Amino acid sequence: MAKHDRRVGYGLPALLAVGLHVLIFVLSVISLPADEVEQPSTSIVQATLVSTETTTDQAQRAQEARARAAARQAEEQAQAEEAQAEEAQAEEAAEQAAAEEAEAQRQEELQAAQERAEAEARRQAQQQEREAARQQAEEEARRRAEEAEQQAQRREEEAERQRQAEQERQRQAELERQRQQEEAERQRQAEQERQRQQEEAERQRQAEQERQRQEEEAERQRQAEQERQRQQEEAEQERQQEEAERQRQAEQERQRQEAARRAAEAASQSLDQAIEGESESVANARQAQEAANGFINLVRRAVEQAWSIPAGSDQNAAVTVTVRLGPSGELLAASIGQSSGDSAFDQSALQAVRRAEPFGELRRLPAAAQSQFRQFNLRFQPGDVR
Amino acid sequence: MNDSMSIPHLILNASTVVQIVMFILLLGSILSWVVIFQRSFVLRRAKQAHKAFEERFWSGIDLNELYRETPAEQETVGGEHIFRAGFREFNRLLPKTRSPQAILDGVQRSMRVAWSREEERLNLHLVFLATVASASPYIGLFGTVWGIMGSFQSLSLAQAATLNTVAPWIAEALIATAMGLFAAIPAVIFYNRLSSESSKLLGKYEDFSEEFHSILHRNLQGRAESGAA
Repeated sequence: MAKHDRRVGYGLPALLAVGLHVLIFVLSVISLPADEVEQPSTSIVQATLVSTETTTDQAQRAQEARARAAARQAEEQAQAEEAQAEEAQAEEAAEQAAAEEAEAQRQEELQAAQERAEAEARRQAQQQEREAARQQAEEEARRRAEEAEQQAQRREEEAERQRQAEQERQRQAELERQRQQEEAERQRQAEQERQRQQEEAERQRQAEQERQRQEEEAERQRQAEQERQRQQEEAEQERQQEEAERQRQAEQERQRQEAARRAAEAASQSLDQAIEGESESVANARQAQEAANGFINLVRRAVEQAWSIPAGSDQNAAVTVTVRLGPSGELLAASIGQSSGDSAFDQSALQAVRRAEPFGELRRLPAAAQSQFRQFNLRFQPGDVR
Repeated sequence: MNDSMSIPHLILNASTVVQIVMFILLLGSILSWVVIFQRSFVLRRAKQAHKAFEERFWSGIDLNELYRETPAEQETVGGEHIFRAGFREFNRLLPKTRSPQAILDGVQRSMRVAWSREEERLNLHLVFLATVASASPYIGLFGTVWGIMGSFQSLSLAQAATLNTVAPWIAEALIATAMGLFAAIPAVIFYNRLSSESSKLLGKYEDFSEEFHSILHRNLQGRAESGAA
C-alpha cells in the first residue's frame, strides 16, 4: 500500500459533513411548506373564480373573432390571386391571338409574293412567245406590232395590276374585318374582365364591411361587458358603502346603548351592591344548609356501614349519639344522648361511630358551618339500616 | 401551521443570544461530523495497513530484509512504526554492548515510545467529539432557557396574555435544545465507537510489540549461548 494513501486529509470529511447538514436542513424546510400550499390555493380559487371565467370568455370570443377575420382575409386573398391568374390567362390568350394574327399576315404576304412571282413568270413566258411571234413576223410592222404589243402588254399589265389591286383590296378588307372581330372580341373580354374586377371589388368591400360590422359587434359586446362589470362594481361599491354605513350606524347605536347601559349601571351600582350583598348572604346560608344536610347524611351512612347490629335487638329501638368532632373531623368524644334501653345496642352504636371516624368531609364544609358541626346528635334505628 | 411557525422563520426571528447559541451548535455539529468522517477513514486504513503488515511479518521473511523494505521513519505508521523503532534500536545497540538485558531494555523503551506516538495519532481529535457530546446539550438548554425568559418578558408586556404571544418564543427556544441534541447524539455514538476501535487497534499493536520483543529475545539468547560456547 502506498504511504501517501494512509494520510487522510480533512477536505473530503469537511465536504461530507457540510453536505449532510445541508441535506438535513433542506429536508426539514421542504417537508414544512408542503402543507402550507393548500391554504393559499383555496383562497385564490375563492377570490378569482368569477372574474377569471368572464375574462377567459371574453378572450376566447375575441380570439375566435380574430381567427374568423384571418380566415376570411385568407379566403379573399386566395380569390384575388385566382382572379389575377385568370386575368393573366386572358392576357396570355390575347397574346396568342395576336401572334396568330401576325402569323397569318406573314403567310398572306408570302402568298402575295408567290402570286406576284407567278404572274411575272407568266408574263415572261408571254413575252418570250410574243418575241418569237415578232421574230417570225418581223418584217411586217415591227414597230406597230411592237407598239400594239406594248399597248397590249400595257393593257394586260394594267389589267393585271387592277386585278392585283382588287385582290389586295379584298385581302385588306378581309384583314380589316378580322381585325375588327378580334378587336370586338378583345373589348368583350376586357369588358368581362372589368366586370369581374368590379364584382371582386364589390365582394371585397362587402367582406370588409362584414368584418367591420363583426368587429363593431365585438367592440359593442366588450363595451357592454365592461359596462356591466362597471355597473356590478358600482353596485358592489354602493352595497359596500351601504353596508359600511349600516355598520357604522349599528356601531354608533351600540356605542350609544353601551354608554346608556354604562350610565344606568353606574347609577344603579350602589343599589346592586346592596342587593348583591343581601343575596350573597342568603345564598351562603342556603349553601351551608345544603352542605350541612349532606354532611349529616355522609356521617350517618359511614356510621351505618361500620355498625354491626347485635342479634336480637329490637327493630324499633332508637339511640341518639352525641358526637363531638375536632377541626379536621377527628372524633373527640361520643356519648349516648338518649339511650334505647338496651345497653348492648347503645354500645354497638358508639363502637360504630368510633370505627367510622375520622369524618374528613368536615373540612369541605364552609367555615361557618364547620363550627356548627363540632357537636351534633345522630339518631340511629336498626330499621333504617339496610 | 402558518408561516410564522416554520423553522427558518423561527430561527431568523429569534433573539440575538438564541441565534448565537444556534450558530455555536451548528458549528459544533459540523466540526464533530468532520472529525467523525476523518477518524473513521483513518481508523479503517490503519486497520487494513496493520493487517497487511502482520501478514508480511509472519510470512517468514528475513527481518533485515523487512527493515530495508519498509520506508523511512517519518512515514511509517502503526505496526510498521513499532517494528522499525525496535529493530533500529536493536541494530544500534548490538555492536555496543554484550549484555542481552541492556539491549532488550533499550528495544522495549523505543517500542513503547513508538506505541505512545501511535496512540496519540489514533486518538487525535476524539477529545473534541467528547466535548461536543457532553457540552452541546447544555448550550442548547441555555438557549432554551434564555428564549423562555424572553417569552415571559413579552408575556408581561402584553395586555392580553394569550398562547399566541408566547408560542413563537417557546418554539424558537425549543429549537435551540433540539439543535443541541442533534449535535450531541451523533457525537456520543461515534465517540464511543471510534474510541473502542482505536483502543482495539492499540491492543493489537501492543501484542505485536510483545511478540517482536520475544523474537529478539530468542535471537539474543541463541547468540549469547553460541558466544559462550
